[in-house]
Amino acid sequence: MVTVPEAVITARSLTMAFGERVVIEDLDFAIRRGEVYVVMGGSGCGKSTLLRHLLGLQEPAAGEVLYGTESFTAASQRERERMLRRVGVLYQGSALWTSMTLAENVSLPLQQFTGLPAARIREVVELKLSLVGLHGFEEYFPWELSGGMQKRAGLARAIALDPEILFIDEPSASLDPPTGRRLDRLILELKQALGTTVVVVTHDVASILGIGTRALFLDADAKRAIAEGPPAELRDGGPPQVRAFFGQGLVGH
Amino acid sequence: MSSDGSAAPAPAALALSRASGGTLVVRLAGSWRLAGETPGVDDVERELEAEPAPRVSVDATAVTAWDSALVVFLTRLLAACKARGVGIERGGLPGSLQRLLELVQEPAIPATRPGERPPLLERVGLRAITWRDQAQEVAAFVGSTTLALGRFGTRRARYRGIDLGILLQGAGPTALPIVALVNFLVGIILAFVGITQLRRFGAEHYVADIVGIAVVRDMGALITGVVLAGRSGASYAAQIATMQVTQEVDALRTLGISPIEFLVIPRLIALTLMMPLLTLFADVMGVLGGAAVGTTMMHQAFASYLRQTSTSVVSGDVVGGLVKGATYGALVALAGTLRGMQAERSSERVGEAATKAVVSGIVLIIGACGVFQYVFFLFGW
Repeated sequence: MVTVPEAVITARSLTMAFGERVVIEDLDFAIRRGEVYVVMGGSGCGKSTLLRHLLGLQEPAAGEVLYGTESFTAASQRERERMLRRVGVLYQGSALWTSMTLAENVSLPLQQFTGLPAARIREVVELKLSLVGLHGFEEYFPWELSGGMQKRAGLARAIALDPEILFIDEPSASLDPPTGRRLDRLILELKQALGTTVVVVTHDVASILGIGTRALFLDADAKRAIAEGPPAELRDGGPPQVRAFFGQGLVGH
Repeated sequence: MSSDGSAAPAPAALALSRASGGTLVVRLAGSWRLAGETPGVDDVERELEAEPAPRVSVDATAVTAWDSALVVFLTRLLAACKARGVGIERGGLPGSLQRLLELVQEPAIPATRPGERPPLLERVGLRAITWRDQAQEVAAFVGSTTLALGRFGTRRARYRGIDLGILLQGAGPTALPIVALVNFLVGIILAFVGITQLRRFGAEHYVADIVGIAVVRDMGALITGVVLAGRSGASYAAQIATMQVTQEVDALRTLGISPIEFLVIPRLIALTLMMPLLTLFADVMGVLGGAAVGTTMMHQAFASYLRQTSTSVVSGDVVGGLVKGATYGALVALAGTLRGMQAERSSERVGEAATKAVVSGIVLIIGACGVFQYVFFLFGW
């Protein structure tokens, strides 16, 4: 029996709601160290809401989220900030600060949280940007770059502090399929090289099959998770809704 | 990031030795983290300068913990070796580090960016060209706004009626309290200055005339224009600049809707219509401010103060003030919308656009006020 790596993030009977309207009920899952965990489902199923819960941008209606063995939901703001220090996030729209250059975007977290000397920060910024293939673009502003390059710059900012966990919201959103696949490959390579745990929220079937170690399928109608497992297995032997999701996704491309 | 065990981790260490055939062996040990001190590549470079080696071999098997600090060191080392044409052996590195280095080594897209400061003469020239471009931009903006006004007049302009309603509401009624307060205070100030100066000639009983004429002819419109430059002008600029950032302006353009018609015209109409009304209101408040001083300091009856004002201020004064008010309103709206449309797609530019809108709005108002004085003087109005 292979030993299962420890869970880095756990959800315990998590219920998410906007006021009275319940989005997903009774969610239980554990994200293990070193895997690429995909949260998938159709539009409006609560994928992004789940991400917001895991990051503390929204509070659960019931249940709790654990980072390692510590409860994130019960933690104070200060403790949460400490836990989130180990986390990097790549937002759907990259969310780069438009009034700063790429170098400034990547160096801001380093300046705020490390207290490293400026020369050292410059070295790290150069490294992170060259990891995503943007070496030489240090002095560019985000709006001077293409969408794919902005995504990669956002990725460089997300890994600035060497996070243990990397959250990615819709990595291939608004990217053409080849650019999306290249970003997927980059995410996989970075994950393997840095040993990061990656949590991806997406509805892009090609991306799910390409990078996912395990996937969780949220169903908007049932208001719960209806399947969990390796993406290829879900595609071939999952519940009918999940197989339909994969099938339609492929046709849709 | 930092390991927080009870025993402090061994610090990062670097040891150089020679293997057979002169190969330089770089042995790394300890914790290579950003949080701690880590050796630089200078030692290795010095060694290579002193005694050239055909190859460099890196051994990181004794490294206990690492993060970006080690990767930075290794990329520097690779670059140093490459510059000297020395081969490098990475067999002693963990697999994940080797992968990471391969990612870094991928040829970066060559990117050039003018970072150098050009010489003085060139800067002067560039600045002149920028000014010319900006002048053209302003002229084009005013021109297309005029054309759009024509389409508005013939009911062919594309805009939403509800937007105009909301803008009228925002520019007019909601501005009443601040316009009232500021103009009341200006009336008080004018009355004080008038009384203290007129007293020297024993003419202080003319204070109602002075305040009435000053407020109705000029100060009411001027002060209200400045208030609106800070209120509406800044808000127009910030809103349109934000719409540039979020590509909403582009979305209008691609739908075939002219942003001038959709965004500029309603704001221009709203301020130009509202300013005369606000000016009239401001005139009343200014006269009341003057009356507050006149009745308390001069012990003049309130009714007699008002009667004196009404005999000194003729209807031509009022109309002139309203015309000025409408003009200032149009100028503030144009300055605000132009600064918004000029903004580039960055959040910093939003604040800049608002600032510039207020500054150019006030400058335009004061400039127009001067022109009005001269023209009114020429015609003896």
